[in-house]
Amino acid sequence: MKTDHYDVVIAGSGIAGSLIAKTLTRAGKKVLLLEAGLQAGVALDSDGAYNNYMSYLDRFYNAAAKVPNSPYPILKDAPTSNVLDVVKLTPGGPPPPGYLVQMGPLPFASDAVRGPGGTMLHWLGTTLRMLPNDFKMKTVYNQAVDWPITADDLRPYYEMAELEIGVSGEVSEQTYPDTPAPKAYFGKDYVFPMHKIPQSYLDTEIAKGVQNMTVKLNKRQYKINCISTPQGRNSTPNAKYPYRDVIWNKAEKKLKLTGLLGEKYDYNPVPSIWDAYTGQRCEGNASCVPICPVQAKYNPLKTLKRSNFDHLTIITQAVASTINIDEKTKEVTGIVYKRYNNPDSPEYTTGVAAGKIYVLAANAIENAKILLASGAANSSDQVGRNLMDHMVMLTWGLTKEKIYPYRGPGSTTNIATFRDGPFRSEHAAWISPFDNWGWSWPVFSPGSDVSDGLAMGLFGKQLRDYLNERLTRQFLLHFECEQSPDPDNRVTIDHQYLDPLGNYKPIIHYYATDYMLKSMEAAKTVSDQIFAANGIEDHTVYNPVTDAGYVTYKGQGYTYRGAGHIVGTHRMGFNKHDSVVNHEQRTWDHPNLFLAGCGNMPTLGTSNPSLTMTALTFKAAEAILKQLEK
Amino acid sequence: MANNRADLFLEISALLTGFNKAELQGTGMVATYYNTVANIPQDPNYSDQELAANEANVGFFFEEVNSILKENKKDESKLQQAIAGRLMPLSAYNGLAQSIITLWYTGSWGANVVNAQAYIQGLMWDTAEAHPPGAKQPGFGSWSFPPL
Amino acid sequence: MAGKHTRDDGTIRTLAELKSALQNAIELEHSTIPTYLCALYSIQDGTNQKAVETIRSIVVEEMLHMILACNILNAIGGEPAINKPGFVPTYPGHLPDSDNSFVINLAKFSRESVDVFLKIEKPATTSEPPKAKGYQTIGQFYQAVRIGLEYVNDNTPGGIFTKDKKQRAKQITAEHYYGSGGQIIPVYTIDDAREAIAEIVGQGEGIDDTIEDSDQQMFGQGIEYAHYFRFNELHEERLYKDTDTPKSGPTGDRIVVEWDAVYNMKPNPKMDDFKAYPELLEKVRDFNRTYTLLLDNIHNACNGQPDLLMKGVAMMYQLKYKAIALMNIPVPGTRYMAGPSFEFEK
Repeated sequence: MKTDHYDVVIAGSGIAGSLIAKTLTRAGKKVLLLEAGLQAGVALDSDGAYNNYMSYLDRFYNAAAKVPNSPYPILKDAPTSNVLDVVKLTPGGPPPPGYLVQMGPLPFASDAVRGPGGTMLHWLGTTLRMLPNDFKMKTVYNQAVDWPITADDLRPYYEMAELEIGVSGEVSEQTYPDTPAPKAYFGKDYVFPMHKIPQSYLDTEIAKGVQNMTVKLNKRQYKINCISTPQGRNSTPNAKYPYRDVIWNKAEKKLKLTGLLGEKYDYNPVPSIWDAYTGQRCEGNASCVPICPVQAKYNPLKTLKRSNFDHLTIITQAVASTINIDEKTKEVTGIVYKRYNNPDSPEYTTGVAAGKIYVLAANAIENAKILLASGAANSSDQVGRNLMDHMVMLTWGLTKEKIYPYRGPGSTTNIATFRDGPFRSEHAAWISPFDNWGWSWPVFSPGSDVSDGLAMGLFGKQLRDYLNERLTRQFLLHFECEQSPDPDNRVTIDHQYLDPLGNYKPIIHYYATDYMLKSMEAAKTVSDQIFAANGIEDHTVYNPVTDAGYVTYKGQGYTYRGAGHIVGTHRMGFNKHDSVVNHEQRTWDHPNLFLAGCGNMPTLGTSNPSLTMTALTFKAAEAILKQLEK
Repeated sequence: MANNRADLFLEISALLTGFNKAELQGTGMVATYYNTVANIPQDPNYSDQELAANEANVGFFFEEVNSILKENKKDESKLQQAIAGRLMPLSAYNGLAQSIITLWYTGSWGANVVNAQAYIQGLMWDTAEAHPPGAKQPGFGSWSFPPL
Repeated sequence: MAGKHTRDDGTIRTLAELKSALQNAIELEHSTIPTYLCALYSIQDGTNQKAVETIRSIVVEEMLHMILACNILNAIGGEPAINKPGFVPTYPGHLPDSDNSFVINLAKFSRESVDVFLKIEKPATTSEPPKAKGYQTIGQFYQAVRIGLEYVNDNTPGGIFTKDKKQRAKQITAEHYYGSGGQIIPVYTIDDAREAIAEIVGQGEGIDDTIEDSDQQMFGQGIEYAHYFRFNELHEERLYKDTDTPKSGPTGDRIVVEWDAVYNMKPNPKMDDFKAYPELLEKVRDFNRTYTLLLDNIHNACNGQPDLLMKGVAMMYQLKYKAIALMNIPVPGTRYMAGPSFEFEK
């Protein structure tokens, strides 16, 4: 079966796919979107969208382990990674069960959603831009690689991304190390669409002792800088924000932000997809990961909903498997997909989606898999390589005063101090978000605290008091260490490992270099000083037996966790020898094949990658429109 | 006996959790949890033998609760001692008292969440002066000041 | 407190009468809220999706109307008075300053309560003259307020809308108010005031001879039916179609209203009813303390500290959870459950 001929065929309806579909259809292009997940998930009418989303919420409520993927359907025919499958690996042993075939030596610890809307259904919502030096790590620190573009090149696309996602934040508070002041870095009059999400009470209390304190690291002194974190969730509109839309300017062949100041009503926060009055503000559900019940947090279905449906065709339950390539012209001629009726049955029909231009937007691991399975885009031998994640080291303790965690968005404040600096030639940089959700991540509080109380023989009023004292004082600090690209951290495929539809399961090789381990050592030093200076009783435990991500460095043990930032695998670069795509996200090898998503990022920086990926996707959409209108 | 047992369940739940009866009733979970504990409707995965053993255990537990409450009507500290000594050990009635506390605080019975409401009504969230993630949302900006 | 300056013929001719009428408007809008909330919270979780959505959407519009009335009062130099014992109606009772033709209650969702809601939201008929006192419909009341605003403004040199910067800063704007099922309108001029009243009346009883409310015309929002017609869908257990008219009644699909999936809340409860049950009494009192704090909060927010509304929203959510908890607690010796009593409790 072959589809009609479209202008553009896209695989994947996460933010990358949805954003390209929206931008292109609104510019009048005919788009086919293939989505591996269930049909119910693309319902965008009020009842359909509401009922489907409430089924996610119900699944979340009933889940014993409320992990990031817990609300979303598990599909045998479109399986995905799950943090519940992340276990300690035995050297030389067989890979443990799970979608990712973990060859080790360490487990890759992040997961993804395979379904309409993609993994950003369970993103946290942090929307930090990358810093200028993040784009030139090789030049400045002799580490990793430079990007073929600079922070300045990306700035207009960052602005589009901040409108698309709907960022809440204060530009004036965005003071970063080794970076021009906010007015210079963001532009003199630039503001985000909405004011900052109020910082948590916990943040304010902790910052009282931490802001401006001095810590020592490798004989240098650093003054700690705590700042509000820009986020993709709805807050109070900023009356000074001038933009309302991004449109294709045919004459200039550019995407442009449009909109006028002085409109009677301010920027309108984008509500839930089912009801205009739900989700106009973050309501403090404190469940951004795995699911925002009111959709005050951005998710890609909001973007998809704003497509021009006269020009958009969506085929769901269609798993992109391979791409067909014309041997002579190197042009892609179709995306082969397997369509299932029942996600639990191995039966499927095969289709070929045909268009002028093709976009793989199936996430970094899936894109790499499809390319490898097709022998495509790999003249650089970089496809599948340089798999990265933020390696997250957590530290936790009890504060003296009650700080009342478990309330508000996951994180509203971060320590920006170690996002850049000369130390990057020695070890990785990191960002330290304050966490608003107690010890839930490392030790499954508050359930584990109930067990602890019972083990102490407590019951009745005493148990209640014990838990109140404990749960209201839990502080958790993250150190999200920037993983450096390494060709040996990679995705491969093998006929031995197939899913029920006969598609490849990704084989993962993953480890931590000394550059990473050293950053954990450094981060722990910083954590110790912060805890000590603020009377925070350290309860951090890194367990060599039970922690899947347990590593040692100079005799000390640390545990890393996945950040959910699946990056690398088809990097962008300067030429066809060093990379898979160029700065427009077009593959060097195939003139009509674009890749979209975090796989294009040459390095990770210390920002959560979604915003940067969205900016890059606007760049891709612009390049595709230019190519179509040539 | 059934009604009597349900009353005993509420009575002992209050003593075990540290929440008074009105607070427990306010969760709307009393009946569901009583049925969970008394295994009504009966779990299809259990063998008849297991069911019978469980039923007997539950019966002994409520008899013990009944006598503890009767014997210590007037003396609060003796009542507490009796609960600590005769109900709280894991060896007592298969650890049923601890399971009941866990049920009220977390909404889970064994490895399973009883149902969506059980998760939402878990007392541990109230105890933390917070709310269950994803439910009973406290409203925009509420996290920026201490709990009301 | 209501009606101090209102003329017997229901017309408004002086600034004092106007301020008094707008204070009445605030009290009028507020008086319906506990009534609607009791019905809403009595519906058991996961049931009656249509009824929940209907009542929820209407009650948030009533809250918006209350704030719009505060904005108009502030715009003419008045001071909304919200945190006083007399502000809180006694249930069962009547709409403040109305013709007392029907009784409003704190009661569970039922056919009877929907009947009352229809009376509250009954559209004005052209035969009834505008009246700010002794009115039969809320539309009548607001027509009188609008005419009064225009009359007093026209007959006051320089007009009645404040130019004072501090007073103008008391307006509640979209920055502080959201998610309300309508547009918050800051009021600085007679035109703004007219727009605000049109919004209140338009959402409540709709546009002349249609079932639609005014939001689509005014703000380009999707078609939504006016309150009366939304309640009538529950009453008739049938949906309106877009082609239906007030006369035709709803002719669309049938809907299922699960009248039994409702907590059997004791009608018009009072703290006094629970004296014999200290644990229960404490929970009712706790609800009322939060309710009173909320009135304080709204009072202060509408009298120069609009930022406070953020905390007010948190209080509204707490009220909801506390009310639902009460409806799960049986009143000993009766077949009823407890419920929120909405009493002023410092």
